[in-house]
Amino acid sequence: MTGLTDYINLAYVAVTWLLTSAGLRKIFEKCGLMGAYAFIPGYRYRELGKCARKETEGRICMVMEVVAIVLNGVGKAIDGQTREGLLLELAALVLLIIMFILMIRIAIGLCRTFGVSRLWVFPWILVPELPALVWGYRGKYQPVNLNREDEDEILAGTAPAELEIPAGAGDIGTGAAREGSGLYIRLRERTVWDFLRKRYLLKDICLTIPNGSLVLLLGGSGSGKTTFVNAVTGYEKADADMILNGQDIYAEYEKMKYRIGFVPQQDLLRMNDTVIKTLKDAAELRLPSKMAEEKKRQKMENVMDTLGLTAGCHGLVSKKSGGQKKRISIGMELVSDPELFILDEPDSGLDGVIARELFQRLREVADSGRIVIAITHTPDRVVDMFDKVIVLARDSGRVGRLAFYGTPDEARTFFGKQTMEEIVRSVNRTSEGGEGRADEFVSRFALERTDSVTMKEAGKEGSADEQQTAV
Amino acid sequence: MSSKLQYKGRLSQIPIYLGKLFRMFVYQSDWKALPMAALIAGLVTFAVGANLFKTQEGTLQGGFALVCVCIWNGFFNSIQVICRERSIIKREHRAGMHISSYIASHMIYQAFLCIMQIVIILGVCRLMMVQFPEEGLITPWFLADLSITLFLITYAADMMSLAISALVHNTTTAMTVMPFMLIFQLVFSGGLVRLSGEAEKLTDLTVAKWGLQGICTLGNYNSLPMVALWNMIFRFRDIDIYGEKPIAAILNEIQSRDMLDLVLKRSGEYSQNPQYVYTVQNLSNCWIHLVGVIVVFALAAMILLEFVDRDKR
Repeated sequence: MTGLTDYINLAYVAVTWLLTSAGLRKIFEKCGLMGAYAFIPGYRYRELGKCARKETEGRICMVMEVVAIVLNGVGKAIDGQTREGLLLELAALVLLIIMFILMIRIAIGLCRTFGVSRLWVFPWILVPELPALVWGYRGKYQPVNLNREDEDEILAGTAPAELEIPAGAGDIGTGAAREGSGLYIRLRERTVWDFLRKRYLLKDICLTIPNGSLVLLLGGSGSGKTTFVNAVTGYEKADADMILNGQDIYAEYEKMKYRIGFVPQQDLLRMNDTVIKTLKDAAELRLPSKMAEEKKRQKMENVMDTLGLTAGCHGLVSKKSGGQKKRISIGMELVSDPELFILDEPDSGLDGVIARELFQRLREVADSGRIVIAITHTPDRVVDMFDKVIVLARDSGRVGRLAFYGTPDEARTFFGKQTMEEIVRSVNRTSEGGEGRADEFVSRFALERTDSVTMKEAGKEGSADEQQTAV
Repeated sequence: MSSKLQYKGRLSQIPIYLGKLFRMFVYQSDWKALPMAALIAGLVTFAVGANLFKTQEGTLQGGFALVCVCIWNGFFNSIQVICRERSIIKREHRAGMHISSYIASHMIYQAFLCIMQIVIILGVCRLMMVQFPEEGLITPWFLADLSITLFLITYAADMMSLAISALVHNTTTAMTVMPFMLIFQLVFSGGLVRLSGEAEKLTDLTVAKWGLQGICTLGNYNSLPMVALWNMIFRFRDIDIYGEKPIAAILNEIQSRDMLDLVLKRSGEYSQNPQYVYTVQNLSNCWIHLVGVIVVFALAAMILLEFVDRDKR
């Protein structure tokens, strides 16, 4: 009798599994995916996640179902009645509970994709074969929201846009920095692996920044500004050459990191410490250990004077205003006299006057021969102080690329805009309220740059010929 | 030129962070751990302090309560210390901070906190008239042995929660995990809840088991009288059998012959626990296990925090 019940149960599981798979096969095809994947245990969740625009949930479910099957199988194999067997089955049960929650999310995503009522979530959870068959085989149910902009991020960077960039355009700029002065950046690509999938974050960025420059880094949200500065500082390494005053940042990172200052966007400070102790500890950490204490103290005092932190320096950081906290954060890095100084939105939360004052101080730092790169979302109030502008933009494949590098005036001419904010808007996606012209500017900038270099090289050859003739 | 420059190494970074932590102790709310320790110790000794180190039951219950206090203090000392400043650590790691120096400074600072708490707990015990034996097992003084045992329990729990704090990314998660860890420690201590089979093996992984074993060993549990049996029989003294009360008669006989202490002592001999045998080896074994927990979790904290750079923005 028990044997018969087992057979009936097995047959029920097999039939429902086949029915669900058959329905999913048609759903996958409707969503432009391969239908045969519906018959692969685990993997079908991954594909279902894609249809629902819940790819992360789909991939987690894929892994969990495989693990749950293995745990359940092993648990039964070693006799489910033993303590070990029961523990394994318990682990499988925990995974199934998590899968249940994720499946609810996927079902909600599917309802959105197919533009149907969310009440369908219940049958998807209780009798999945039913909605799978109905949605799969009835022509009425078609994906209507497959390309939702807001959730499109999950596919971002998986395939960079194929732009018309001339071969060798990236090699521009092998100038003085590579040999000894300034910062030479040659970033081929910055990628990450996400669940066995390679994502491009940045691609083909090449430029040279001379010493003593104050550089504005522009770009819309998600264009890769912070990723770019992290790659430049060597904190998150990319496939790139980063040469600072003749020294390879990546190859000699342990040494170079003391010569690079990075001020993060948030005020990452211990609020219950005093200002002077915060700066003193930063100096201890960042300055050479053999430097005389007197010299360290002098450097600290200079920084406090430069940033206007001397008054009230014995007070707690938590008692300081937003602008003062920002200056303390800058002071922590500035105390080590970095050759390359990068600031991620140093003026966020500051009013116009204080922000301008802050950039005035950064201008002074740059004038002392250092390279200062600043990211800001309100560039127009301070743009007159900058020497150069870097514009990063996300191409149609959601990969950050170089859309422009030059002086602010050149930027206005290149983009045909009057303000920096208009420039950012022109490269932003239409879904973000922009003009969506990133691909156009990225290609055009690379093309114009190549032409200018070719002309320069031709000019050099011409003058060499003239010299030969003269000889 | 700069290639020859030397920056603060692992050892010389420790005082920098130690200084920071002590300033936090003063300016932040870390100092509150001390009055809280006094309060909890006061409550516990009020409830179970009277029979501590006097009877087997009192020692087991009181020892378990002391272990709970120590684990509670240890957990609360460090459960949030790393995760609450994780983004600051990330920034400082980028600027040259060594994770090992950071954890080492925390270990020193937490050791200081734990010592202070033990001093307070023992002070409160004295204040609440808890009677301690005089002779120690490893050192000549009982209080010294007890202090070391309580310190190791607190510090082991402290390092455990330090590792949790290094693992999780925010204080909410840390405070969610903590009760789970606490329940595991208390249930699997093997003290009040008797475990058997596979579950008993799990007790070896807990701080509570080694802590309780240490306290009971030190209190010479096996030589103490057992009162539970007498109290149980005493409840049945009025049972009437054929017009007589034989149980009451026996109890009266024992008391009239002044044999109560002997009976209690003999009943204690029948409920001895081999885990609590009063030997130097047994107590040092407990200490070694607790030191092992401290080392393992301190290393775990160090290794886990090395991944701080991988945190997403």
